Amino acid sequence: MTSKNNKPFLGFGLGLRSDHYQEIIDQQPKEIDWFEIISENYMIDGGKPLYFLDKIRQDYPMVMHGVSMSIGSTDPLNMEYLQQLKNLIDRVEPIWFSDHLCWTGVDHKNMHDLLPLPYTEEAVNHIADRIGQVQDFIGRQMLIENLSSYITYTTDAMTEWEFLSAVCEKADCNILLDVNNIYVSSYNHHFDPLEYLKGVPAERVWQHHLAGHENNGNLIIDTHDHPIIDPVWDLYDKTAALLGPVSTMIERDGNIPPLADVIAELNRAREIATPHYHANHA
Amino acid sequence: MPEELHALQHRFQDYLEGKSEDFIKDIVSSENALAEHRLGAYYNAYRIRLIDCLATDFPVLRKEVGAEAFEYLVLDYLKLYPSEHPSVRWVGRHMVEFLQHSTHENRDFLAELAQFEWAQGLSFDAANSDQIFTMDAMAVIPPEQWPSMSFAFSPSTRWLDLYWNIPPYWTALDTDGKAPQKQIEEYPTRWLIWRKDLRPNWRSLEAAEAWAIEASFKGANFAELCEGLLEWFGEESVAMSAAGYLKQWIHDEIITDIIINA
Repeated sequence: MTSKNNKPFLGFGLGLRSDHYQEIIDQQPKEIDWFEIISENYMIDGGKPLYFLDKIRQDYPMVMHGVSMSIGSTDPLNMEYLQQLKNLIDRVEPIWFSDHLCWTGVDHKNMHDLLPLPYTEEAVNHIADRIGQVQDFIGRQMLIENLSSYITYTTDAMTEWEFLSAVCEKADCNILLDVNNIYVSSYNHHFDPLEYLKGVPAERVWQHHLAGHENNGNLIIDTHDHPIIDPVWDLYDKTAALLGPVSTMIERDGNIPPLADVIAELNRAREIATPHYHANHA
Repeated sequence: MPEELHALQHRFQDYLEGKSEDFIKDIVSSENALAEHRLGAYYNAYRIRLIDCLATDFPVLRKEVGAEAFEYLVLDYLKLYPSEHPSVRWVGRHMVEFLQHSTHENRDFLAELAQFEWAQGLSFDAANSDQIFTMDAMAVIPPEQWPSMSFAFSPSTRWLDLYWNIPPYWTALDTDGKAPQKQIEEYPTRWLIWRKDLRPNWRSLEAAEAWAIEASFKGANFAELCEGLLEWFGEESVAMSAAGYLKQWIHDEIITDIIINA
């Protein structure tokens, strides 16, 4: 199935986690259409993670999702990292690869966090240029994901969705639109999430993330260690109505439940989105 | 170079590392959350994430020093060795060196404990072997070619020379068993570590085998092994002893190939 503008529609997938390796191999669940892997977890020489990766790849399509490209950093691009990424892409043959609209450190340090960028023209130009370099080096288009953020810079000159759209238009890359992250940031920064959804170029949105989070009252923290909450499901419903068929997956990184529980969430995503897709195609 | 972005990122990183609070003025405060509160989310996440990561890499070191002391240990570690690698897999690569130079009263023991845990990790995701040499393959090598045999080992194979009784101590704590007394010897014991069935394995080596495996790694052939092992065995039994080691290594699945040098 493809959407109206011929972007691939992979269906409904899960983040591949080591806790589920054996269950996946034993049961080969049909409800999971594809898997997303964290690229860095497999940038190793051998052993158990690559053993299971290769085995599961035989049965499922995959996409690769990175956390360390640091596309927004003012350090030079890490070419050693990009070569490793390219090697992994050659091994996995993913449908696409993605990373975050963020930076992770400067002066060759890595904070191992997805740090937000100021929404300025300077940053748009800098990041779009670097995405172009990455796409040239890898030889493929990439997807860039919106963050959950907890801060607003005093220098911001545009909204987050304007910033994301400007970067992706200028770099000619696609978007991994994380619905939970939109919800989290809209709560933390008091904006209307529907404005966000209407403000991004729909034809560039190739993938969605869904996840749980932790509400600390004043701030929501994007923890990926809880089930998805109802307001995020509601937002996903509106997203599917607005953007049409977009490959969707669920991320779970902490308090990882049995595979059946995550599959149940995945089925809920399918039940919410599919009627909109059929309506769009009618 | 985008100068403003560069300066901003420096101020943010300095804040995360606890070096400066200048970055607070770059952040908008709101009624529901002041800038300090918002930044706290990042300040804490940086520490918690890397404490959790190193707790995974050094689970028994954490048990040995206690959870709270381990957190302080990691925070001190990060001040000296901030991560410079894209993958969290390598954050702990300087832990042994850090502990060796620490002021901790058990620093020698803790450094060896960390060394053992890090070596397990290196073995866990070392490169795969293209093949494993088997006893069946061994059986077809004509006896006259034995003296010129040399050996290739799986990339996951390594050894540690430990003065303390680390592996049995580690096993006891890892399984929540009663830890044995810490014991230090005058001379180190060599521990062979390798991956088998996707898991790290280890065993201690007697002095003769410790020498033999190091010599084999360096390219010694079977005849040279026998010659060196004369230090431990008589002429009548040395070939049998060397063959015994070789059989054990094949059983351990650490030999990937036997090369016959004509």
